[in-house]
Amino acid sequence: MAPASHPHPPAEPPASKGAATPESAFIAPGHTFGSITDKISAIVLTRRTPVGWLLGFAIAFGLVMLFLMAVTWLLLKGTGIWGVNIPVGWGFAIINFVWWIGIGHAGTLISAILLLLHQHWRTSINRFAEAMTLFAVACAGLFPILHTGRPWLAYWLLPYPNSMGLWPQFRSPLIWDVFAVTTYATVSALFWFVGLVPDLATLRDRARSRVGRTIYGVLALGWRGSARHWARYESAYLLLAGLATPLVLSVHTVVSFDFAISVLPGWHTTIFPPYFVAGAIYSGFAMVLTLAIPIRAAYGLQDFITQRHLDNMAKVMLATGLIVAYGYAMEAFIAWYSGSFYERFMYWNRVTGPYWPVFWALIATNIVIPQLLWLKKVRLNVPVLFGIALVINTGMWLERFVIVVTSLHRDFLPSSWGMYYPTMWDWFTYVGTIGLFVAMLFLFIRFLPMISIFEMRTLLPESKVKDSAHA
Amino acid sequence: MVPNSTKGILGHFYEPADALAAAAKVRDAGWKHFDFLTPFPVHGMEEAMGQKRSWLPWVTAVLALCGIVFAQALQNYVMVFDWPMNFGGKPFAAWPAFIPITFEAMVFWAALGSAVVAIVAGRMDSVPQPPPMAVKTGATFDRFVLWISATDPKWDAAEAERFVRSLGADGVRLVDVGGRTNA
Repeated sequence: MAPASHPHPPAEPPASKGAATPESAFIAPGHTFGSITDKISAIVLTRRTPVGWLLGFAIAFGLVMLFLMAVTWLLLKGTGIWGVNIPVGWGFAIINFVWWIGIGHAGTLISAILLLLHQHWRTSINRFAEAMTLFAVACAGLFPILHTGRPWLAYWLLPYPNSMGLWPQFRSPLIWDVFAVTTYATVSALFWFVGLVPDLATLRDRARSRVGRTIYGVLALGWRGSARHWARYESAYLLLAGLATPLVLSVHTVVSFDFAISVLPGWHTTIFPPYFVAGAIYSGFAMVLTLAIPIRAAYGLQDFITQRHLDNMAKVMLATGLIVAYGYAMEAFIAWYSGSFYERFMYWNRVTGPYWPVFWALIATNIVIPQLLWLKKVRLNVPVLFGIALVINTGMWLERFVIVVTSLHRDFLPSSWGMYYPTMWDWFTYVGTIGLFVAMLFLFIRFLPMISIFEMRTLLPESKVKDSAHA
Repeated sequence: MVPNSTKGILGHFYEPADALAAAAKVRDAGWKHFDFLTPFPVHGMEEAMGQKRSWLPWVTAVLALCGIVFAQALQNYVMVFDWPMNFGGKPFAAWPAFIPITFEAMVFWAALGSAVVAIVAGRMDSVPQPPPMAVKTGATFDRFVLWISATDPKWDAAEAERFVRSLGADGVRLVDVGGRTNA
C-alpha cells in the first residue's frame, strides 16, 4: 500500500485555536500532522540533493583528508611535530579537547534539561543539537588519545585484567575523564538513537527505494507506534533525560578537575567546575546557532526554527556568557585576594605578559561583543546574530588557550620559563577535526530527519487532547 | 511468548481526540487484546486503554545501584587490595577520589540498561500485534489506527466489525496473518 495516498485528508486546524496555544509561535500556523511529516521527511527521501550540499561536503571531506594526513605524520614521527614542549606540555590537543567537549554540552542541555523543564521550543532543534553533541564528542575524544603519544595503546586507560598486572590510577582526574567522556558519548548516542526510532519508522514506511526501506526498517527496530509502546517509550526517554542532566554537568566538571586538581597557579581554582560548565553551554549554543542559521535558510525551515527559537538561544548565550564573565572576574579577584605571590604573578602575566593579545582578544570576543545581545534588535537580526555566534565560538577557543598556555609557560623558576607556538601540524589537526565534524553533520542532514518529526506533531494544537479535556 | 502477528481488525481515526474517546469505549466494552497505533504519544491514552504505569523506572533504579556497587568494588579492590601504591603518603582507600567514577558508572549502567530493557520489553508485549503489512496504514504518518486482535476472548469477526464501525472508525477492515484484507 502506498503510504502517500490519502483518501481522507485530516481536517484543517482552525487558525483561531492555534493562536491561543502558547507553543504556536514555535511552529508556523497552518500545519497538519501530514504536512509536518512530509516537509521534514522530504529532505531525506524525495528532494534532490542540493548542489550546496555536495559542495559543502566536498570541502569538509577534503579537510578530513588533511586530518588523516596530519595524524599519519604524527604516528610516524611522534608528538614532537607539535608545538608542545616543557614547560607547556598541554598545547593544542588539550585546548581543542576542552573546546569540542564544551560544544557538545548544548546538545544535551537542549535535549535533556529543557525537556525536564517543559521548554517545548526545544522540539525543533533538539535532534540536530544532539547530533552536534555526538560529533563534537567524537572530535574531542580524538585529541587526548592522540596526545598520549602511543594512541594504539589507548585501551590501557580502561580497567581490564591483563598480564602486565597494571591498573589505571583511579585517583587521577585524567582517568575520571576517561570514564566521564566514555559515559557521555554512550549516553548521548543512546538518547539520540532512542529519539530517532519513531522517525526511522516513518522513513521506513515512506521510503520508495528498497535499500531505503531495508536500512530504515532495520534501524526502526520494528516500531509501529503502538500506544502500549509509546507509554514505555516516553518513560524511557524521560529516564534517559533525567540521567543525562546530571551527567552533562558532571562531564565538564570532571574536565575542569583535570586542571583544578593540580597545584598550579591559574588552574588550582574551586570556581573551575561551575565556570567550565557555563562556558560549555555558552560555546555550545553559539555552535547550535552557527549551524541552525545556515541550515534553516538552505532548507527553508523557517516554519519550524522560528525567530523565537533564535531569540531564546541568544538569551541563553547572554545568560551563560555573564556567568563566564563572573568567572573571569573571580579569577582576577582571588588571584589578588589570595595573597599568593605566584597567583598574582600568573594573573598579571596573563594580562600583560607575552600572550597579552590573546587575553584581550578573549575579553573582547567573549565578554564585550556578546553584550550586544541585550538589544532585541540584535537578537532578531539573523546575520548579526550569526556573526556574534562565530565570535563566541572563537572566544571560547581563546579562553582554553589562555587557561592552558599562559598558566604553564611561566614555571615557578625563571630558568624553566618557555614559550608555546603551535606548528602547522597543530593547525592541520585542529582544522581537520572541524572538517570531520562538518562532514558528519552533512551526512546526518542528508540521511536522517534533522528535526524530530513525531515531536513536531505534538506541537500542533489538536494533539493536546488531554489538556483541552481538562480545560 | 505471544505470536508475532495475528489476524484481527483495523479501523482509522484522523483526530487524536476521537482516538482517545474510541479507546475508552473499547476498554469499557470489555475488549482486552486491542491496541492503538498512533503517530505520536497521545497523552491520556494509557488511562483510556486501561494500562498500568510502566515498571521501567524500577529497572533503572536497580541498574543504577548495580553501577554504584560495581564501581566501588572495582576501585577499592584495585587501589586497596590488588595493587596498593603509595603516592605522597595519600590514603589507599581515598573514597572522595572514587566518587566521580562511581557516578559515571551509575549513569552508564542505568542509561544503557534502561534503553536495552525498554527495547526488548517491546517484543514481549501481552497484546498480539497486527501483521507488518497491515502496519503500513499511516500510523507513522498522520493516522490513529485501532487494532483488535482475533486472540481476544470476546472475538467474533462480524461482531468486532460492527463494533469498530459503531465507534465512527474509517477504513475498517479485517486482516489475516499475511496482512491481506479479508473480503
